[in-house]
Amino acid sequence: MAGSRRNLRWLPTLGALALLGGLCGCATPPPADDADAMADFREANDPLEPTNRVFYAVNDTFDHYLLRPASIAYRDVVPQTVRDHTHNVLGNFGLPVQLFNDMLQARPRRAGDSLMRFVVNSTIGLGGIFDVATGWGWPDHDSDGGMTLALWGVPVGPYLYLPVFGPSSPREGVGMGIDYAMDPFSWFGRGAVVKDLSYAKIGLSALDARSRVLDDLDKITGQALDPYATIRSLYRQHRQSQIDDARDDDRHTVPAWFTTPTEAATPAATDGVKK
Amino acid sequence: MTTISVSSEAVRTVMSLQVTSRRQFMALAGVGALFASGTAARADGATDAATAFMTKAIKDLSGVVNGSGSVGDKAVALQAVIDKIVDVSSVGRFCLGRFWRSASADEQKQYMDLFHKVLLKNITGKVGDYSGVDISIQRTSTREDGVVVTTTVVRPNAAPAKVDWLVSQESGQPLIVDVIAEGTSLRLTQRNDYGAFLSRNNNSVTALIDALKQQANS
Repeated sequence: MAGSRRNLRWLPTLGALALLGGLCGCATPPPADDADAMADFREANDPLEPTNRVFYAVNDTFDHYLLRPASIAYRDVVPQTVRDHTHNVLGNFGLPVQLFNDMLQARPRRAGDSLMRFVVNSTIGLGGIFDVATGWGWPDHDSDGGMTLALWGVPVGPYLYLPVFGPSSPREGVGMGIDYAMDPFSWFGRGAVVKDLSYAKIGLSALDARSRVLDDLDKITGQALDPYATIRSLYRQHRQSQIDDARDDDRHTVPAWFTTPTEAATPAATDGVKK
Repeated sequence: MTTISVSSEAVRTVMSLQVTSRRQFMALAGVGALFASGTAARADGATDAATAFMTKAIKDLSGVVNGSGSVGDKAVALQAVIDKIVDVSSVGRFCLGRFWRSASADEQKQYMDLFHKVLLKNITGKVGDYSGVDISIQRTSTREDGVVVTTTVVRPNAAPAKVDWLVSQESGQPLIVDVIAEGTSLRLTQRNDYGAFLSRNNNSVTALIDALKQQANS
């Protein structure tokens, strides 16, 4: 616990930064009589835009000089197979949090998928190196604290572009905190080795995630007139679609071989009427 | 006694209200059913047309992308297919949003020509990357602005992606007006991009046209 608390030390700093940013950099709303411009302003839902753009520029510089070159090196040096298996292992580490969120979202089939993925891939899949579960009918899906809060009806709040983390919102920010607290891998362990391992995991996750979108992100930022606004739009839409997918996933929880009470009752009732 | 009469009065009123509302309800339901059946019939026609159109469009697209020939040949062939299956002017108008109405006829024409050029350039620029693609139709659903044909797109070395194609008959024949990849609408993203650019450039469509010229000629 001490370790995890120490890792969370940056959170207040981050909050203070965001608050400071909020105080000094508010977007100027358009004149109230310009209805169209006002509608655009509301749709963008980005009152902290000037501050967000500063952090976007900071992250962009960080990406340009460090993360992107490192990810290109990672992609070019490490063979595809190894990268795929690394991706699987990292995904496997995230499954407990995914499972908790599925349960909090009251999505039993999704929770079943996450649980079986974790059990099967951790054992037969050799610690998550091989993704056996997908082929066996337990596919992967997205599930996190931000989505859980969304399904509980928590409003998203204004757009936030966070240093390091990138596109977010107050709801997603709180969701990230909840996910961190729920992650069993953040509960135990202290000492230098565990700390180094967890840093290695964070670093590798960043490389893995960035290297998978190298071409797509280059294309998006290359073709956009305003990359900041394009990423804001893409992020919002993608988030909404993840939330909709979770909300609409109402697969039956009853196994196919089990006769449901209604099916069993219907013929009996008809018989009763005939008699 | 007064209480009883009042209450029976109340009961009668409620009952008469109920009768009225039931009658109204039946009448409404009848009209609704008629309307619904009409809409359903129309929607079925539109859905069938959209499915048939998308089946052919996918065949044409995959034919070009997975066909033999140099990247240059493929790009030229792909342009021809896109012009045949995408309602470019509808997409262009959507992307400019409210500024389409305020633009002059000349600006509209310039914008549309450039939009068309940039769109083709962006799609065909990466034609080599699409090789080996497999698109299969999963289902269709109706939206107020058209029929959504949901497909699964499988590319080598990539996870299968869900791609929705919004097919509209606004132009008189079924044509694609939006592509929604994993929940992100291409035309909405483009509109937000243009909108942000315009709001940071004094809402000047001329500035947008200049920026598009640069994109088209870069």
